[in-house]
Amino acid sequence: MGSFISGISLTCFGASYAVAWALEWALFWRRDVRQILILGFVLAGWLAHTLYLGYRVVEYSASPLASSFDWCLVAAWLLIGAYLYLTCYFPQAALGLYMLPLDLALVAAATFADPEPFAIGPASRMWGAVHGISLLIGTLAVMVGFVAGLMYLLQAHRLKRKLPSQSGVRMPSLEWLEKVNSRVIILSALMVGIGFVAGIILNTIASGPSGELPWSDPVIWSSALMFAWLSVAATFNAVYRPSRRGRKVAYLTVASFGFLVVALAVLLLVNTEHGGQKHRAPATASHTRAAGPDGGRS
Amino acid sequence: MKLQMIGCSHHHSSVAVRERLAFGPGQVGPALDGLRQRFPRIEAVLLSTCNRVEIYTAVEDPELGPSHEEVVQFMADFHRLPMYEIFDELFERTGEDAVRHLFTVAASLDSMVVGEPQILAQVKQAYAMAKDRQSVGPLTHGIFQTAVRVAKRVATETTLHQRRVSIPSVAVGDFARQIFQRFDDKNILVIGAGEMGEETLRYLQSEGAHDVTVINRNFQRAEALAERWQGRAQTWEKLPEELTRADLVISTTGAGEPVVTLEAYKQIEAARYQRPLFILDLALPRDFEPAIGDRLGVYLYSIDDLQAACQKNLQRRDQELPAAIHIVEQETNRFMADLHHRATAPIIRRLKEGWQQPKEDELRRLFNKLPELDDKARAEIGQAFDRLVNKLLHPPLESLRSEAEKGPPHGLLEALKRLFQLKD
Repeated sequence: MGSFISGISLTCFGASYAVAWALEWALFWRRDVRQILILGFVLAGWLAHTLYLGYRVVEYSASPLASSFDWCLVAAWLLIGAYLYLTCYFPQAALGLYMLPLDLALVAAATFADPEPFAIGPASRMWGAVHGISLLIGTLAVMVGFVAGLMYLLQAHRLKRKLPSQSGVRMPSLEWLEKVNSRVIILSALMVGIGFVAGIILNTIASGPSGELPWSDPVIWSSALMFAWLSVAATFNAVYRPSRRGRKVAYLTVASFGFLVVALAVLLLVNTEHGGQKHRAPATASHTRAAGPDGGRS
Repeated sequence: MKLQMIGCSHHHSSVAVRERLAFGPGQVGPALDGLRQRFPRIEAVLLSTCNRVEIYTAVEDPELGPSHEEVVQFMADFHRLPMYEIFDELFERTGEDAVRHLFTVAASLDSMVVGEPQILAQVKQAYAMAKDRQSVGPLTHGIFQTAVRVAKRVATETTLHQRRVSIPSVAVGDFARQIFQRFDDKNILVIGAGEMGEETLRYLQSEGAHDVTVINRNFQRAEALAERWQGRAQTWEKLPEELTRADLVISTTGAGEPVVTLEAYKQIEAARYQRPLFILDLALPRDFEPAIGDRLGVYLYSIDDLQAACQKNLQRRDQELPAAIHIVEQETNRFMADLHHRATAPIIRRLKEGWQQPKEDELRRLFNKLPELDDKARAEIGQAFDRLVNKLLHPPLESLRSEAEKGPPHGLLEALKRLFQLKD
């Protein structure tokens, strides 16, 4: 059993999600058959994904948010959880069409991410957890907001053009999408804010009382930029009432995703001292990492 | 066996005729009892809806079943009508055609609005009523239970039932539900008192809408409509205020020019804070200036837009028809093959019994000659004989089964009877 689980790689669940996404596009098939197959592939992938993360925790004490690599995979795992929950809520909606590519992007990002654990001392362990969890929730909120915003814009466009919905690519109502958009803006601003402040505290602990914050670090300034944007968007949302309505709130969440992509790209691809280690993220990494201590790199 | 359906439907008979022949909810039971009194050996089910009146009868012995004329006479007597007045209005389907007809009806392929879901419930109700009156038997049980299954198969394997084709149902089901998640907290504004507006309100109420405001130039008419829908009436002057408050507007006035111009809408627009507004302009000429539909958060649908959506749905529904007909055809063939095969059961039983006796005689003789055989050996030999009989019977039984798929295997049954000297 152990050897079976240790053999699970990113390709296993990544491929399951990719097949499920391809099935979302197979509109010529009957919706009910397609739905069963899609759910089957997603659940199979999610099971493999869970075993992969569990194996890393149990066998290598790689706590779920210990490295950029694990962080990306936990985010992808939670996003699938959100997808499954929303699919139960809206069985007719083709949510996978929009959510699964984001998940695949996170799995792909994990192959570029560094599996080396962040260097965190016992004193900063608590702040490290707050930092990691808050940014994780903030990231997921921005992603869900992006999907909801995109769906809102497509749905509004369709309804303005008075086109009946196609049975294979239905979407939730504008009202629901608007509500989700409005809420995730507040949630993401709050969580990214907490994560950012926790990150500053971590840096202060790591560099000692005389140390300076590395503001020039690309991860820090890109995160600060994202936090600034989310704060502006949340304030705009709270103060200007029409911004909570319709396309405006959708544009805000879609733009927030742009900032998130920049922040993640910087984290994964640019020279950085983030996490207390000087490293360059690998340009080419194996796409078939098994659940070894370093994500199967060895 | 004889299976037949005699009745009338919207295809051939006018509403006036269907009304005269219809059996009300309180009449179906007595009608079934009356039919069974007249023809005690038959099974019968009576399906009576606003679009069709159909009597299904089935009997094992064709001689004991009623003829076409006798069923028509029964209907004429029940409704106290002269037989000649209704005779030409009623059509007949027998055997396989009757089965196919019921499957087509239950799957809503024969309905006035193809794909409408009520007919299946009505078929189930007719079957349940016949069961209550104990007028069903093995044949009608089989055919009606299969009809329900066929209808469900058509509903799940095609999208025929998902396509709405009436303007109010498309307005609410295809568009309003895509804008609003729920209707119980929405303000519905009805401008005018058109019939289609009421029909749309009916759909909205079934979705949970209850806050209805009616505005009409004639306040008494507004009050009357508001009372019917448990809403509130407002005077015409309150239109801008109510429009500001509204989430969904149904407009059906008979005005010769728009009752809400773009300029008038712009004046209330700021107070709405870009809250989505779904406007169903069901009036001709239109009540809302079309340019209002370009404003932020406004979804303005005219009757032409909805008609176009209905037309598209109809086309898509038509594309699904061949698949639905194929299912009906497949299930009819399967049902008929089962039915024919079931008819061969007595011959098969007699054939097996005919081989059983010689087998037992031969076994007894053998065991008498070989008394040293123990129980185990005897059991082995008995099983070998059983296998031999089964193997010898397999080819004729298989031929019977495959012949039954093509139709009643009368010729083969006759041949078997003569070859194996099977007596009735």
